[in-house]
Amino acid sequence: MSSLGAQIHVGPLERARDRLARLGGPPALRFAGRRLLTAIPVLWGVTLLTFIAMNSLPGDAAQELLGANATPAEVHQLELKLGLDKPFIDRYWHWFTGILHGSFGHSLASGQSVIGILGADLPITLELIAYSLVVSLVLAIPLALVCARWPNRVADKLSLGVSMVGLSIANYVLALILVYLFAVKLNVLPAIGWTPPGQSVGGNLKSLTLPALSIGLPLFCFYTRLLRADLLEHMQSEEYVVTARAKGAGPWRVLIRHALRNSVFGLITIVALNLGALLGATVIIEDIFGLPGMGHELLSAINTRDVPVVEGAVLIFAVMVVAANFLADLLYSLLDPRIRYGGSAG
Amino acid sequence: MAVQPAEIAAGTVPVELTAPAAGGGRLLRSGGLALSLALLVVIFGACFIWPLVGSVPRPTGGSVLNANLSIGAPGHLLGTDPVGNDELSRLLYGGRASLEVALAVNALGIVLGGLLGALAAYVGGVLDAVIMRFLDMLIAFPSLVLALAIAEGLGPGEVHTIWALAFFSVPAFARVARAETLKVRERPFVAAAQLAGSRRWRILGAHIAPNILPQLITFAFLGMGITVVLEGALSFLGLGIPAPAPSWGNMIAQGQSVLSAQPRFVLLPSAALCLAVIAFNMLGDALRARWAG
Repeated sequence: MSSLGAQIHVGPLERARDRLARLGGPPALRFAGRRLLTAIPVLWGVTLLTFIAMNSLPGDAAQELLGANATPAEVHQLELKLGLDKPFIDRYWHWFTGILHGSFGHSLASGQSVIGILGADLPITLELIAYSLVVSLVLAIPLALVCARWPNRVADKLSLGVSMVGLSIANYVLALILVYLFAVKLNVLPAIGWTPPGQSVGGNLKSLTLPALSIGLPLFCFYTRLLRADLLEHMQSEEYVVTARAKGAGPWRVLIRHALRNSVFGLITIVALNLGALLGATVIIEDIFGLPGMGHELLSAINTRDVPVVEGAVLIFAVMVVAANFLADLLYSLLDPRIRYGGSAG
Repeated sequence: MAVQPAEIAAGTVPVELTAPAAGGGRLLRSGGLALSLALLVVIFGACFIWPLVGSVPRPTGGSVLNANLSIGAPGHLLGTDPVGNDELSRLLYGGRASLEVALAVNALGIVLGGLLGALAAYVGGVLDAVIMRFLDMLIAFPSLVLALAIAEGLGPGEVHTIWALAFFSVPAFARVARAETLKVRERPFVAAAQLAGSRRWRILGAHIAPNILPQLITFAFLGMGITVVLEGALSFLGLGIPAPAPSWGNMIAQGQSVLSAQPRFVLLPSAALCLAVIAFNMLGDALRARWAG
């Protein structure tokens, strides 16, 4: 991408990038700057695609809001009020400049600002994601170590079988099975609802436990398999492992201090890259457990055709994925100095 | 960890499900191939052929008088659901809908994604940059979120579900096709064809396509598993295949309301869905191991 841009013409983007590069500073910073600049056109495209998806598809927002009994005159009046009579480009430009000024518009249903609505939901979704990640990693890292310590033995074979099921089970199926076991049969965890942390921290964690398990358990299988394979690869091929062994380090020490330290870079990157799939999972899990997060808001906005809220939520989801990918690239290069910063960017 | 970002974004990271090649690995792998193939033959046969040749009741329009019959009731092998439809018939017809969507989505992925990816890699330059940036944007959306937005705009229905899901299968396949084409492009027979004066389209069709197809098909089996799950998610949320027509996803959603009293209405379609996904994953995995040598 970068060399391609230089071949065609030197635009403002390339000039800004060159200037950034000439600023010097640590190469990691320059790498970050270059990555940030390539993320900008993707982000812009994301806003355009979001708007096209929501505006050029069939379905009449004004009619939907007023109900089937509305007269054509009423519908027309609302369309004028919402600016739906203006050309597509004008509406997009209005929306896009609004975003640049930090405004996503107002909900058609409640009139509240979209930022306000989604801002209140975002922490719940983020807490759910964080909880799921903690669950998956706390289980995955020790199990992967055990599997890599004794490959093809009982623990490894067992974890393989569990992973096969765990990776194939849909999270909404797992969620319902967990609800049946822990809420209906054992009655130890709530099946639905959300307790704000201000009310009770323990209750808050309890209300998020089943949702976090529904997302976290398949992830746990996924991370275990990846980390195990990576650890084994390091143990079999890397010279520093041979050196450490030759110096008399015990098998656990080699595994944890040497192989794991290197594998963790890859794992962090995978976690960051995987965030997109995770965000998708929160939508359906929040719906099942009645958590008032972003995904729940998105679904109810979809059902009422509250277009500004849907646009805002989809855009925030997409921006989070782009940001996570950017972060993954950055982390990978920062954590592992062997990665070259230059070369084949893009 | 040599994992492609696009594969993770699409949720299709290759994870070794079969044991490593050491020891009994090869046996397990070929066992996995046979087992998964057998499973798929049974699943496809049951869903597509049984309703044609066997005497399976209609999946919809049951009488409330027959509601909630238990498993093994006369004439209803798996009983009936709360509105009196035969549960087995709903499972079979529901599977048909789910598998049809999955097949169509992945066929679209192979054809459109394969074409886009091969073209991007073979022609290169500006076209490559434009296609790949565009696909980057599509991949930037969490797959379910984008599918939800599109399915909402199009309205529920089997064909609309297919289009909504194709929006993320095509970029994923294009990524694979591009990576494979970049490898194949350097092989001597492509240079030979170019020297012999073959046209671009002929080289793409006759030399590159046959060589990237095995990888795309392998990827498609893993994609089938993901698509079945996502179609289930859309139908579960009421934006996929609309009730009363059955699909595994909307059957699970309907069963959710009677989960505490009669868990079988969730468990039966869930088991069918998981079995199909396991079979697709195992087959894809075994095939990939085979191609890798």
